[in-house]
Order: sequence, then C-alpha cells, then structure tokens
Amino acid sequence: MRRASATERMPPPVVALLASPLGALVRAVARIRASVHVKLLAGFLLITLLFIAMTAVSLRTLTETARQTNLLDEAHERVGWSRQIEHALAMQMHFTAMALLSKDDGIVARILRENNRFNDTLARLEKAAPAEERALIQAIRGSQDDAMATVADIANAVRDGRLADAMTALRTRQEPLYAKIETLVGSLVAAEETRMASLRVSIAAASRYSLRVMAGFAVASIVLALLGGFVISWSFILPVREAHGFLSEVAEGRFGGTIVVPNRDEFGALAEHMNWMSRELRRLDDEQRVAAETLRSLNDRLALASRAKSEFLANMSHELRTPLNAILGFTEIMLDELYGEVPATLREPLVDIQTNGRHLLRLINDVLDLSKIEAGRLELGVGEYSVQEIVEVVHASLKSLALEKNLAFTAGVSPDIPPAWGDGRRITQCLMNLAGNALKFTRQGRVDIEVRLDGEWLVYRVSDTGIGIPKDEVENIFAEFRQVDTTITREYGGTGLGLSITKRLVELHGGRIGVESELGKGSRFFFTVPLRTDGGRA
Amino acid sequence: MRDRTVLHIEDNEYNRKIVRQLLSRTPYRLLEAADGEEGVAVAQRELPDLILMDVQLPKLSGLDATRLLRADPRTAHIPLVVVTSFALSGDDRRAMDAGASAYLAKPYSPRDLLALIHKFLPEN
Ligand SMILES: Nc1ncnc2c1ncn2[C@@H]1O[C@H](COP(=O)(O)OP(=O)(O)OP(=O)(O)O)[C@@H](O)[C@H]1O
Ligand SMILES: [Mg+2]
Repeated sequence: MRRASATERMPPPVVALLASPLGALVRAVARIRASVHVKLLAGFLLITLLFIAMTAVSLRTLTETARQTNLLDEAHERVGWSRQIEHALAMQMHFTAMALLSKDDGIVARILRENNRFNDTLARLEKAAPAEERALIQAIRGSQDDAMATVADIANAVRDGRLADAMTALRTRQEPLYAKIETLVGSLVAAEETRMASLRVSIAAASRYSLRVMAGFAVASIVLALLGGFVISWSFILPVREAHGFLSEVAEGRFGGTIVVPNRDEFGALAEHMNWMSRELRRLDDEQRVAAETLRSLNDRLALASRAKSEFLANMSHELRTPLNAILGFTEIMLDELYGEVPATLREPLVDIQTNGRHLLRLINDVLDLSKIEAGRLELGVGEYSVQEIVEVVHASLKSLALEKNLAFTAGVSPDIPPAWGDGRRITQCLMNLAGNALKFTRQGRVDIEVRLDGEWLVYRVSDTGIGIPKDEVENIFAEFRQVDTTITREYGGTGLGLSITKRLVELHGGRIGVESELGKGSRFFFTVPLRTDGGRA
Repeated sequence: MRDRTVLHIEDNEYNRKIVRQLLSRTPYRLLEAADGEEGVAVAQRELPDLILMDVQLPKLSGLDATRLLRADPRTAHIPLVVVTSFALSGDDRRAMDAGASAYLAKPYSPRDLLALIHKFLPEN
C-alpha cells in the first residue's frame, strides 16, 4: 500500500519552491536536532538582532549628522565674528580720521573701545578657529597692534599740535596698515565661507549615504526575516502536511502507511509515534479481519449445523412415529378383535403395551418440542380459536381418569369470552399438562378448570386438592426434568417436562405462568395469555 | 355399484399391513404404493375414490405428490388425506396448502382412520 507523497498534495508553486535550494534549506532546518521551541526562539532572536543592528546604524548616522551640523554652526558663528572684526576696524579707521579733525579726547576713548571690541572678538575667533587659520589671526593681531601703536603716535602728534605729522602718519603708516588688516580679515572670512560650503556638501553627502545604508538595511532585514520565517515555518508545515495526509488515510481505513519527515524535533518524534500507531493499527486491522473471517465461516458452519439439526428433528419426528404408529395400531386392532377374539390373559399385557406406547409417544413429542424451543425453531401456528372448545376437549379427554380416581372434575368458562387469537393447539397442550398434573397429584377431593377474562388477558386456572408442593420446590418445578417425588411418577409415569414446555409455550404467547400451593392441601396453577397474540418465536 | 377404491401410499410395510387388516372386513378395494412416484402413477392409472398419503415418502415427498395430483385434472377432485407428524408444527397447514382434503396426525388410532374413510366414502 503506497501512500501519495506529501508533495503530490501541495500547490505547484510550493512544490517548485521546495525543489529549489530553499527547499534544501527547509530540510536542513528540519534536520537540526533542536526542539520546536528553540527553533522558534532562534528565529525571533535573529529578527530582534537585525532590528538592534539597524537601530545602532541609524543612531550612528544621526550623531554623525549632528556633529557636522554643529561644525557648520561654529563656522557660521566665526563668519559672524569676522564680520564684527571688519566692522570694528572700519569704526576704528573712522574714529582715527575724526580725531584728526576734531582734536577731541573722547574720540581716542572711542578708538580704544573699538580696539578692545576688535581684540575681544579676535580672541574668541582664535579660540574657536581651526589650527590652519591661527597664523592668519596672528598676522591680523600683529597688524592691529601696529595700527594701535600708530594711533597712539597720531594721537600724541595731534595733542602736541603737530597736525602735519599726524596727517603724514595717518596717510603713510596707518592707512596701509588698515588696508592690510582689511585684506587679512577678508581672506579669513573667505576661508570660513569656503569651509562652510564644503561642510554643507559633506553633510548632504553624509545624509544621502545614511539614507542608502538605512534603506539597504531595511531591505536586507525584511528579506532575511521573510526567509527565516519561510524556512522555519515550512520546516514545521511540511511534517504537519505529511501528518495530515497520513491521518486522512487512517481515517479512510487505510492502515499501515508510513510517514517520512526530515525533522529531528517534536515533529520527528510525532511522526515516529504515528508510524508506530500505523503499524499497530495495521496489525490490529489484520487480526480483526482474520477474526471476522473466522467468525463468518464459523457462523456459516453454525447456520449449516442448525439447518441440519432442524432437518434431523423433522426426520426424527417422523421416523420415530412410523414404527410407533405400527405398534399402537396393531395393539389397537388386536384389542378391537380384528384378528379374532382376544383371550382374557392376553388383554392385560396388550393394554400395557398400549399404555407404554402412548407414554413413549408423549415423551417423543415433549423432547421434540423442547429441542425445537431450545433451537428457537418453534413457531406458533396462530389463528382464531375458541376457549370453550379447548376447555371441553381437555375436560373430555381427562374425564375418564378423574372417574377412575373418583375425583370431582369440573370445567367452567365465563360466558363473556370472545373468540381468541393464538395457537389453539399449543394452549390445549398447556391446559392438558396442568390438568393432567392436577389429576395425577391428587388422591382425593377435586380438580377444577376455570377460565376468565381479565381485561385483554385470558386467565386459565387449574386448582386441585392434591399433595401440594413444598415451598422450596416451587421455584424449581418449571425447570426441565424436575420432579418433587418420584414415587408418584413411578405410579403415573412422567418425565418432568410438562411444566417446562408449558412455561415456554405460555411465554411464547407473551404470557406468564405461576402457582400457589400449600403442602398437603392442594395447588392452584394458572397461566395468562393475551386474548389476541400475533405469534412469536421461541 | 362397484366397490370403492382406496389408495394407500406409505413406505412402511407394517403401517400398510394395518390398513390392509383394517379394510379386510370392509367392501373397499385397497391399492398400495410404497413411494411418491409410484403413488402418483397408480393414482393416475386407477383413479381411486380416496387417497391416503404419508407426508414423508421416498423419491417424491407426500406434499409434492399431492401437488402433482391436484395439478392433474383427472385426479384433482379425488379426496386426499395426508398423514402428518403432530410434533412438526405447520405440517398440517402445509398439507392443506398443498391441496389435501384432510390430515391425520401420526400415530393415528386405526379406529379414527376408519371413521375418516367412512366420512369420505360412506357405506350405504
Ligand atoms: N398439581 C400438582 N400438585 C403437586 N405437585 C405438582 C403438581 N404439578 C406439578 N407438580 C410437581 O412438579 C413436577 C413437575 O411437573 P411436570 O408436569 O413438569 O412433570 P411430570 O408431571 O412429573 O412429568 P410429565 O409432565 O413430563 O409427564 C412434578 O413432578 C410434581 O412434583
Ligand atoms: Mg406433567
């Protein structure tokens, strides 16, 4: 019994995927000797690690961008300071020129103030500036110092009234100095602006780069996560699908298939158990099949034997009766003197032959009845019958015996009983058995048959004033071959089958049988049958 | 008026002998057959006035023989008594179904048999 493999039940894309290297990966993961729990945990851990890495990269890019922006801000500040220096220088030049014209002392103070501003700003600039700009700043400071010395000279000359000298100093020394300083400051500003521009370019480049890195990371993470998810989930789905197919087969009653999975985890263990179960089921199924076959053949043989038995019974019944018929027949025609007069001495033994022959006949009838009841082959010949007629027949055939024993023997049927439905011949047999017993086990007094209707039930009752039945025997007398006292039996014959057959026949009609008895006083036997029986089987 | 004929179909010699003895003092003419086939043949040839048929016979069962005789227009009307076995419940019903006029349970009393014959063939 070959099973369809799991791949035959899968949609084609899945099959193609599993045939690819990815499939090999799936099987490799399945073969890993680790529990499902660990595998799932590993999968989630992988994804978590990817997220952590991505976060780290983003953080790094973020701090880098922040640093560059900071540098840009600083450069920007420095450009501002340079512009302030330029301004302070212009003011200085203005105030120096003013000092010459107004000879005002306050002007000098203003020049000094502007100078201080210049120096302060320059000092700040120097502190913040990158190393390569230090030389330029030193040069500016030197020139400024020179310019301040010249300012002092000019101021002295003005105070002393040497205006021409002051003018000359201003023109020949101070103005070139200022021009030099202006040029220096200008180049400083230009340098800072170049730096700013380059910083801007590098920031843009860095942000483009970080964007690319992040996108790359995101794509890689998604692909990796999908791959991991696919591989791990399929390493679980494959055995589940296999198991599904396998269990469907089991459900359809096809046992003995095997399930093959690469897994070495819980699924692998499960598959192993299922294979074991499958083998076990197959074995049980085979055993059951064999047992059923045996039972079937046994049943056939039993049915055959049962048929043979009932045929045997039918044949036996006739075969036994045929010679008995001859015995009883010859006896009767001899007693009827068809062969001539019978001598008185022969009459008694002839009657003995007849009595024993009849007894043998009853015995045969009883045994056959009983065996047919036992075999469940006794069918009631259901039809309409008259209760009055039955009682009359029984009374008539036992009347002589009662007379012989000097017993009062009456039969009473309540007049309201309609025609009944059942096996009249069997009911007759039952009543005959009870009345026969009553007469047999009564030495003096009376035997009465009485039938009345109780609703839908017929109640047949036979009471006698006979020997009665001991309490502890009442239960047993309905069993086969049960007799209380065999001395009476020796006197009147009997085998102990009458009551058991009667009980079965009554029950076949759906009724019941019972007795009330007092030892030494008498017995009251009764049986009930439905007024209308549909018949039944023993 | 010719003597009326009784055909006794029975395989047991002693039972045939009883009937022979029983009818020896009567005006009936007795014919005998020991199996079903012979019984049917004799009945069709002799057209008796009454047939006594045992239920269980060699070659052809009493019931089958009865059915055959009932199917034959020449013998269909002849009174036919089937001898059954009481203990076999339903034998009598089967006999009547096969077309018997009456049945008599074995073992029968010769007196009863004679009464039955008289019933079908009254002596005048
Ligand atoms: N009316 C009765 N009075 C006293 N005892 C009885 C009466 N009827 C039955 N019994 C007891 O029950 C026993 C069983 O009765 P049953 O009719 O089955 O057998 P039997 O009469 O002894 O034999 P068989 O009926 O087979 O000829 C009897 O032997 C007898 O001891
Ligand atoms: Mg009895």
